[in-house]
Amino acid sequence: MTDSDGPVVLIVEDEPDVAETYKLWLRDDYEVRMAHDGDEGLELLDEDVDVVLLDRMMPGLSGDEVLERIRERDLGCRVSMVTAVEPDFDILEMGFDAYLSKPIRSEQLHETVQNLMERSEYDALLQEYYALVEKRATLEATKSTAELDENDQYVALKEQIESLREDLDMALGGVEDDEDFIATLRGLSNEEET
Amino acid sequence: MYDLSSVLDFDEIQSVEPGSSILISGPAMTGKEAIAHEILADGLRSEEGAIAVTTNDEASDIYEDFQGRVPELSPTQLGLIDCRGDGDHDSTEGAYTHHVSSPGDLTGIGIGITKALEGLHTSGYQDGRLALVSLSTMLTYTDKKTVFKFCHVLSSRLDSADYIGLFTIDSSAHDEQTVQVIKQAFDGLIELREGGDGREARVLGIGDKPSDWKSI
Repeated sequence: MTDSDGPVVLIVEDEPDVAETYKLWLRDDYEVRMAHDGDEGLELLDEDVDVVLLDRMMPGLSGDEVLERIRERDLGCRVSMVTAVEPDFDILEMGFDAYLSKPIRSEQLHETVQNLMERSEYDALLQEYYALVEKRATLEATKSTAELDENDQYVALKEQIESLREDLDMALGGVEDDEDFIATLRGLSNEEET
Repeated sequence: MYDLSSVLDFDEIQSVEPGSSILISGPAMTGKEAIAHEILADGLRSEEGAIAVTTNDEASDIYEDFQGRVPELSPTQLGLIDCRGDGDHDSTEGAYTHHVSSPGDLTGIGIGITKALEGLHTSGYQDGRLALVSLSTMLTYTDKKTVFKFCHVLSSRLDSADYIGLFTIDSSAHDEQTVQVIKQAFDGLIELREGGDGREARVLGIGDKPSDWKSI
């Protein structure tokens, strides 16, 4: 996520009526960009985009191909596949973060976009948590236990870690959901390659 | 609650809360893997599910090992995630087996664990234990930051499944800072060492205070 005006959703959908409907539903809460095929989608995609709604069946580049190029570009955005058929588990293996099967209701669309935004928040929290844990480990590796107990910075750090850990447990409902779990792990792998 | 004290005789681990993740740390050749797998076997004997994630051993070898430890084992009690990325696999008839391309393929490991949990639930095993052997191998494929986050996320997933997790690390294979970082992803720690009169262990982070070193 970035500091631009608000969360940005990119809709890649070849049917104009369908795309307009999604935009209508989302535009009060998000900045919406629209592309009517894969090439245009890739053009409109930049670091400000948080969530991509990607139609799987389009003339020209398919949704799968677009996804592959998005992942190659290493943007932090989350991608939901939009499909006419209910997929099985494979969508997670294919690298999508979520899926929506048509016809989509407004409520569903909001839920999915919101969940994807929450995942990005979780990733950011986890990164913050790690930074503190690493700091603590450095102190522990260089000072004795007695020294640490008297070190204000260390004591404060321990408290910060504890409170962030609680925040993380609350975020995403503690990664209860299989999709959240896999998508979070995929986020780790993507990040590591940078 | 999970009772691990029949494997390691410590009061601290007599009733381990569901959702706990424990690191088993010690230098090479102190039997970390054997302890992790015996804790799984002990659960299998009481009709729990078990998931073994292995970075060095073939799934079928682990399967045979469990058959040896637990004669009454039902294959559908067991999930096996083989991360060696090796082409050959012998049969693990009936067990929920998943092969992952490499110990650095975190998404693949996650998918394997998800499928195993799903399978075990379907077979009627609501409680269970997962062992991952070893984090040291994963650390040769990916950095400590990624392994830390992986452990944290996996622990959260196990927590919501009411499983307990056991993870091994070879403390002599990494710098102290790395071990200190990884430790913090866990609720508790079982530490092993070679003492004057053989192997010793102690338990930290579970219970009110650390236990003393004790011969095992």
